[in-house]
Amino acid sequence: MSKSAISQTDGSPAMDGLTRSQLFDLERRVKTKKQVYFDIFVCFLPLLAGAVALLEYLTIPDNSPNKNPHVYTVFLLILVVAYGIYALVSLWKKSRGDNHATDLLRYRAPLFTGLFLLLAFYDYLTLKTGVLTQPFVPCLNFVANAAWNDREMIWNCTVHTLWLLFLGYFIGVGLGLITGIACGYSEKCRYWVNPIIKFLGPIPTSTWIPIMMVIASSLFGGAVFIIALGSWFAVTVASMTGIANVNKEYFDAARTLGANQRQLIFRVAIPHAMPSILQGCTQAMSSSCTSIMIAEMLGVKSGLGWYMNWSKSWASYDKMFAALFVICLIFTLVTKILDKIKSHVLRWQIGANA
Amino acid sequence: MKDHNISLELNHVSKSFAKIETEEVTHALQDISFTLRSGEFVSLVGPSGCGKSTILRLVAGLIKPTLGKVTVDGQEIEGPAPDRGMVFQKSTLFPWLTVEKNIAFSLQMQNKLKGNEERVNNMLEIIGLQDFKDDYPAQLSGGMAQRVALVRSLISEPDILLLDEPLGALDAFTRMNMQDEILKMWRRGKQLAMMVTHDIDEAIYMSSRILVMETNPGRITADLQIKEDHPRDRSADYFINYRNTILRKLHFSGSDKTA
Repeated sequence: MSKSAISQTDGSPAMDGLTRSQLFDLERRVKTKKQVYFDIFVCFLPLLAGAVALLEYLTIPDNSPNKNPHVYTVFLLILVVAYGIYALVSLWKKSRGDNHATDLLRYRAPLFTGLFLLLAFYDYLTLKTGVLTQPFVPCLNFVANAAWNDREMIWNCTVHTLWLLFLGYFIGVGLGLITGIACGYSEKCRYWVNPIIKFLGPIPTSTWIPIMMVIASSLFGGAVFIIALGSWFAVTVASMTGIANVNKEYFDAARTLGANQRQLIFRVAIPHAMPSILQGCTQAMSSSCTSIMIAEMLGVKSGLGWYMNWSKSWASYDKMFAALFVICLIFTLVTKILDKIKSHVLRWQIGANA
Repeated sequence: MKDHNISLELNHVSKSFAKIETEEVTHALQDISFTLRSGEFVSLVGPSGCGKSTILRLVAGLIKPTLGKVTVDGQEIEGPAPDRGMVFQKSTLFPWLTVEKNIAFSLQMQNKLKGNEERVNNMLEIIGLQDFKDDYPAQLSGGMAQRVALVRSLISEPDILLLDEPLGALDAFTRMNMQDEILKMWRRGKQLAMMVTHDIDEAIYMSSRILVMETNPGRITADLQIKEDHPRDRSADYFINYRNTILRKLHFSGSDKTA
């Protein structure tokens, strides 16, 4: 028996070896000419909206003085060109028989259109009319300039933030895995750790920051401790419940197949609890991101959180917003990477959910 | 393939379970004694709660008897071991391992995988699932999953194969196909097979010996030998006679109802 023999139901040889995308193509609804033209139009809309944003920026007179106006122009141009390249690549893929890329382009085009229109609208409200007062809500050209001019410092702060974040996070996750797995498996361990969790659980991690500022010898060490504590807590709870909920049948089966105690933990309990453990790791990351920002704003004398606060005290609101965008960018990236790892490790679950 | 020649003995075995949160005790098995040998295919039939599965779990070594002894060739069973393989009713394939790795699990746990990779392939070939070796259990049908579970236990060439309602969750057609497949595999190895089932026809179709059990407390009330050749005809007279005999033992025959 082979796979194709199973998927083949009526014995027609043409269906043999049919791929997933070919199947979708076969069953695709035929579009009318009108629909096709409309789709093409929608895919062009982002370019149109991009042109609108550029024209808006370049033609309407400024309400407040605008230094180095070309930075934002270049920024907009890069976005428009990037979309153009993306559209061309999708078309090229379609010409090679892959319809998925253009479907995705069509799906995303309205969103990109909205983004360009939003940029134009924001620029109109800030730079052009001053409805949102400058420099408190800076227009994007100010922000882009600030980010570019202060790039060295922002870069250093970013590195510092990431270093602190990962150091605390990995210490917390590592220790959390050890305690969580031990507690999930051994009653005695749970006896001693559970009260600690019950006591620490209701305390938000940021509460520790003032205490740390008093007792920790270095603020950096204190911040690492706080981030690690939050991560430790999330991972411990998640892996403990994960391990405790392993079906007994899996243990029975593994034992009759010759697994010893150590193998029961590492080959059965931990893989089985993996979804729960990774859920804990994601939670730990979001708790770490919160803690690190608070820690940097309150005590630590470096990093993006500190940079934001520091810019505010110098009334450099453009720098403040620049840092905000960088923070958004790196946290999005970190979360994305975690998701990728998660879906790779848990690829065995995909079939189960379908 | 290794030669199996063992005898399994239950010697006045009783097993009781404490009920949760009361002082009462359930007597799952009371004073069970029998001897089974390699080459036998023994089915345990009886109403639920008669301790059929408890006997399998005792032989597997997953639980210990309250009284009496379970021995293989005179040696008391200390705990689970791969020479007593077990297939469960619910598929217990590890969902995080591919079909191939599930089958290799037992060898890997015993550090015997190196040099024995072709045994995994042989097993895949026997059940005809070579093309599915990189699939995960969630992608398999119920019948395929139980076939994988079967060879997963067989790869260590167990002396005793314990089948705890292995076909209970399958539809009627898959079930009849699987009965033949299990028999085919049992005939290759001639191990001792012990199967728990609710299906009397299944027991008659497959077994060389049937132990009929009664509940409260769990005990054996009949011990039937079936000598007919395989494949057996489900509509033959002998088949119907065996069925009637067993039904009578279980008090489900027509005469009982009128009496």
